[in-house]
Amino acid sequence: MGESVGIPMTRRRLLSMIGKTAGSAAMYHAMNSLGFAGESNFKEPIELRGAPKGASVLVLGAGLAGMVAAYELRKAGYQVQVLEYNDRAGGRNWSLRGGDRYTELGGAAQECRFDPGLYINPGPWRIPYHHRGMLNYCKLLGLPLEAFVQVNYNAYIHSSQAFGGKPQRFRAVKADYQGHVAELLAKATQRHLLDAEVSAEDQEKLLASLRNWGALDNNYAYVKKWDSSDRRGYDRDPGGGLSARPVLSEPVGLTDLLQSHLWEALAFGDFYDMQTTLFQPIGGMGVVGQAFARELGSVIRYNAKVIDIRQDERGVGATFEDRAASMTRHTVSADWCVCTIPLSILKQIPMNVGQPMTEAIAAVPYGAAVKVGLQFKRRFWEQDEQIYGGITYTDLPITNIGYPSTGYFGGGKGVLLGAYLFGPNATEFTALAPQERVKKAVEYGSQIHPQYREEYENGVSVAWHRSPFTLGCFGMWSDEARARHYDDLCRIDGRIVLAGEHASYLAAWQEGAVTSALDAIDRLHRRAVAAGAPV
Amino acid sequence: MRPPTAARKRTVRARAMIAVVLGLFAVYGVQAPVRAQTSRMFFSRQLTTTNGAEIYQHICQGCHMPDGQGAEGAGRYPALAKNPDLKSSTFMALTILGGRSNMPAFGAKHGAGAMFFSPPALTYEQVAAVINYVRTHFGNHYTGPVTPAQVEALDNAP
Repeated sequence: MGESVGIPMTRRRLLSMIGKTAGSAAMYHAMNSLGFAGESNFKEPIELRGAPKGASVLVLGAGLAGMVAAYELRKAGYQVQVLEYNDRAGGRNWSLRGGDRYTELGGAAQECRFDPGLYINPGPWRIPYHHRGMLNYCKLLGLPLEAFVQVNYNAYIHSSQAFGGKPQRFRAVKADYQGHVAELLAKATQRHLLDAEVSAEDQEKLLASLRNWGALDNNYAYVKKWDSSDRRGYDRDPGGGLSARPVLSEPVGLTDLLQSHLWEALAFGDFYDMQTTLFQPIGGMGVVGQAFARELGSVIRYNAKVIDIRQDERGVGATFEDRAASMTRHTVSADWCVCTIPLSILKQIPMNVGQPMTEAIAAVPYGAAVKVGLQFKRRFWEQDEQIYGGITYTDLPITNIGYPSTGYFGGGKGVLLGAYLFGPNATEFTALAPQERVKKAVEYGSQIHPQYREEYENGVSVAWHRSPFTLGCFGMWSDEARARHYDDLCRIDGRIVLAGEHASYLAAWQEGAVTSALDAIDRLHRRAVAAGAPV
Repeated sequence: MRPPTAARKRTVRARAMIAVVLGLFAVYGVQAPVRAQTSRMFFSRQLTTTNGAEIYQHICQGCHMPDGQGAEGAGRYPALAKNPDLKSSTFMALTILGGRSNMPAFGAKHGAGAMFFSPPALTYEQVAAVINYVRTHFGNHYTGPVTPAQVEALDNAP
């Protein structure tokens, strides 16, 4: 295929040419040499070989970090035993479904009353395409994935302080924001205010790009025209036949838009961790933990509350209380230990590691978060408002309303993530009884979706600081604490190594748990091999 | 009052990082006026009450429980009821302001309100009020209420 002469050879055009002529392998090679398509730090798949004969590892915690460690170490030939506090595996990888019971700290018990097939993920709910460790294990465990919708142009951005509290469609806010900013920049360019920064030649391109980006008209104005309605939407959509004539919509003025602060919610989908495509396992995030548990079988001992961890030159022992048998005490031992217990709990468990690791464990407070799941009689957000997946952002304490990225057009009931709160809002919601949190989520949410009042049926809430197995949501590292303590937290201390999202730069993400476990067991395995067979 | 520039830059960077990590765009300031300027969508409402019981019910009981009995799971939250540690209001003030063990800091100087996921920052008046409430409830009968000025002096002690 011939390339026309006289068009400057950009990198993209070059790549496209290479792709067309030499196929995708050559293109990938070329992209690498041009600095694109960088390698992920996840090495797929990890292959540990040659465990010393008879060597054993004790894994504390059957969350994702612990189960990845157990799975890979067992494969490498170690004798592995896992102790888990809960009566289920997964930890924060968890879905609440109809019939599930959850008792939080303080004793308040909830029974989830969702219809079959409906669920809420109290913890993580999305897997970005570049979280290759998570994706690898989903594939390995045979778990089918579906797309998680992060950005939905037809969901809302809502402020109780703007537009009379009427929620605005994401696409309208985005189009108007880009349109106004583009128009301002175009004006500045045309008035020669940017001459010092932008060459005449580039100004031409800049103006063309602003028109393209902001949906400006021929005069570089963002006004009620086809251009703008084609981004922000119509008052009446185009159709066919005699009733087809569309009605254009009026953009919101610049001042109203800026003062509304709705623009604050535009960039979420631009963050690396939120960029399309994201995934979720079919059936709820908790299927990952369940699949690992099936794989590991009797390797996991449930209801084991670890109360003491002790190492010496020969091995590591952990004492635990059996929660299913009157807290009777047992001690298990192994040559090595991978400890994935959250730092919020680990800092209360006696463990003879050195001062650096002890200080690191103590240096990380846990962030607050609360999620509320609400069941409704019908999927009104789809039926009445054409919202299929995605997230509505609001200045109300509930912060987010998440629409299910699954079961679209279902005729039955539906479950929303009715609230996902952080920080001070979460701290205050944590202080409420579980059903009070649900009640508040319904009250606030009905300001955005009045259908709540008619359609609401039941709900559950999880406040992470009331979670008996984490005492918080995730390790909240400050820059200062990370600089001082992070490496000490991750380094092997004698025969003990820590893993979990708290031992990663991916705070609160499952990928942090997975990659920290892989990193930890790789180092531990090398040390074990160097030490040789246990005596 | 805005924190000094270097410290501000540091907290802004930390906030931005957490924002990226959890997909939150908004960046808060440490103090209410800064917040109002930076984020109106995602700032969390400051708790304004100076009533000790209300502060306890809005914040403290999330972990220490409504009856002050604390709780125990895989780890534990200490009981405040009949807790001999509470004899010292200085101990309490330093704990609330700067955090201790698993308890996060609620003092603005110690990072409260600095990051998206941080707990709310309490004023010296609020810290004093909640100390005086806890020391005289839940079976505690400690005398000698603490004043906001004393809390502030403790926070500024070298």
